[in-house]
Amino acid sequence: MNAPSSPVILLGYRPWRGALRGPWYGMWAIARSSLFLLLRRKMFWALYGVSAMVFLLFFYGQYLHSWLQTQIPDEPIRLGSGMVGATVKPKELIDIFRKILHLDGSGYTFRNFIKFESQIVMIVLALAGAVLIGNDFRFGSLPFYLSKPLHRWHYLGGKFLAVGILINLMITLPAVLLFVEYGFIDSWDYYWDSIHLLVGIVIFGALITIVLGLLLLATATWLRRTMPIIMVWTTLFVFSGGLSDLLVISFRLDSRWRLIDIWNNLYLVGNWCLQMDPATIPTPFQPRYSEAAAVLVVVCLACFAYLNRRLQAVEVA
Amino acid sequence: MTIKTPIRPAAKTISGETEATSPILCFEQVSKWYGAVIGVNQVTLELRGGITGLVGANGAGKSTLLRLATGQLRPDIGQVRVRGVDAWDWTAKRWIGYSPDHDVFYEEMSGFQFVEAMARMFGYDRREARLRTEAVLERVGMAGRSDRRLRGYSKGMRQRIKLAQALLHDPELLILDEPLSGIDPVGRHELVEVFRGLAESGKCLLISSHELEELEKLTDHVAIMARGRIAAVGTVSQIRDLLEDQPIRVLVETPEPRAVGSLLLSWPEVVGLDFGRTSEGDEALLIRATNPRQFFRRFGRLTVEEGLEIQRLEALDDSTQAILSYLLGGPTPSAGITGRR
Repeated sequence: MNAPSSPVILLGYRPWRGALRGPWYGMWAIARSSLFLLLRRKMFWALYGVSAMVFLLFFYGQYLHSWLQTQIPDEPIRLGSGMVGATVKPKELIDIFRKILHLDGSGYTFRNFIKFESQIVMIVLALAGAVLIGNDFRFGSLPFYLSKPLHRWHYLGGKFLAVGILINLMITLPAVLLFVEYGFIDSWDYYWDSIHLLVGIVIFGALITIVLGLLLLATATWLRRTMPIIMVWTTLFVFSGGLSDLLVISFRLDSRWRLIDIWNNLYLVGNWCLQMDPATIPTPFQPRYSEAAAVLVVVCLACFAYLNRRLQAVEVA
Repeated sequence: MTIKTPIRPAAKTISGETEATSPILCFEQVSKWYGAVIGVNQVTLELRGGITGLVGANGAGKSTLLRLATGQLRPDIGQVRVRGVDAWDWTAKRWIGYSPDHDVFYEEMSGFQFVEAMARMFGYDRREARLRTEAVLERVGMAGRSDRRLRGYSKGMRQRIKLAQALLHDPELLILDEPLSGIDPVGRHELVEVFRGLAESGKCLLISSHELEELEKLTDHVAIMARGRIAAVGTVSQIRDLLEDQPIRVLVETPEPRAVGSLLLSWPEVVGLDFGRTSEGDEALLIRATNPRQFFRRFGRLTVEEGLEIQRLEALDDSTQAILSYLLGGPTPSAGITGRR
């Protein structure tokens, strides 16, 4: 680890004569340190493994689906025998398969994929909040950061960068890989014809990064410990969904009551990004895309305002 | 109270500018409240170089003062400036190296990784960060032990790591909160030498410590804090002079303590006499006197004129600890004699 003694002696203790890279580079250093801490957790790797499994399911599923389409005969085939047997057309079987999983490189594919991955990401973030940010406030590591030539925003920016890298490694990048893969399976025209999907994936990923990142920073700086953060995230993303279902479906209240569910809002705006028809959304009675987007903007502004207030008062006492 | 430390040759900033005129650290009428409790009360202080010790009891406001200086706290009233830049401004921190009192690290990292990560936060590229990390670890005596995880470090090793990360960018102003706490005597000696070397190279060091004896060895320039105020700043003897009305204790070993005592009774400076024996069993006289300069002048004359046999003459209250006790109302150090008035 330690260098040979001669360069150390030559270096001694001298003023810096080069150009420092500035606080933006410091943000990257903060993000690296934060990710380093997270990547040492086995729990993270377990969840990342689940996330990778989902990706592989879609990745090979798309390939398999495409391959099956080229292999099926036109004639009907008989499945089973005797009383339990039935004659089915293979093409219809594939259609059912396609309708359920949507492994066809369409907006449905990416919508479903991002939905599954986001749920894992939310669990990861709820667990990582304390490690990434909360512990700095709780145990007093902040003086090490804040005694460096960094603004408080640079510190939070570094943490946000770490969260963003995490989210995009688990959501956006795999989704883009699926898009690329389907182009190879289908045809080169797919890339051009479905370019809006690629743009939608990137915007949806960015949206999830911004909303979840700001929410995590706000909740972690506020609550600091893992359990309270998990409880708040469960309330925000699980209980609010159940409550909105209860209000809209059981009590037949206005569909705008669904706006209390932040994940649903993200999902709706994601559908908007992927140019999906609102009628294709599985859960009934949904508010308009624009209303969901407005709520997300308000949530982000609220988080931003809270963080700004915290930062103005970040006094390491 | 404003007392300026001796001006040392102007240090160079990171940008290479010479700023001989502006003080390295300047507090101007700074007050800081925590709700209804005042942490620092109208502090005015100016540091231009050398080593300044900051002493005071728990809750005196030392840590608040250091955090104000490092821009971690914002004053409610007044201004804290580092080289003329508001300490709250992040750009001021390029001149500051800070070693906090608590040692909360990322325990999974090795000492080297931690210090290197801190170097990257300054904006050094990978190579420079590595070189600087190696250099500062060498300097604080951690070169051979830095690849172990921080979790397994002793208190002294953690202190050294904290110091290393503060030294990374060659700061003009080093603010060290209890840097000698938990370090063994050999290590303490090494670090004191490091501090002296830094001061001699033109750095300004502000060191908070409860280790008053060590601080006295390190510097004779101390700032004493009490109840949020700078109660006194200067050399130990200067501060002692400020306390003319406060009686000092003078131990006189003489074979005729009562005769000497009778000569002193009429003096206005002498406010008390105690007779007894030292731990070695010698006869001794403990004098409590105000206006020490006047007292010692007269006592010297008296000794010559009366031909008194004085075996030992010692001012017991010239240490920082004694001054601190006076200012803070705590117990004074033992005179080391037994007896009665």
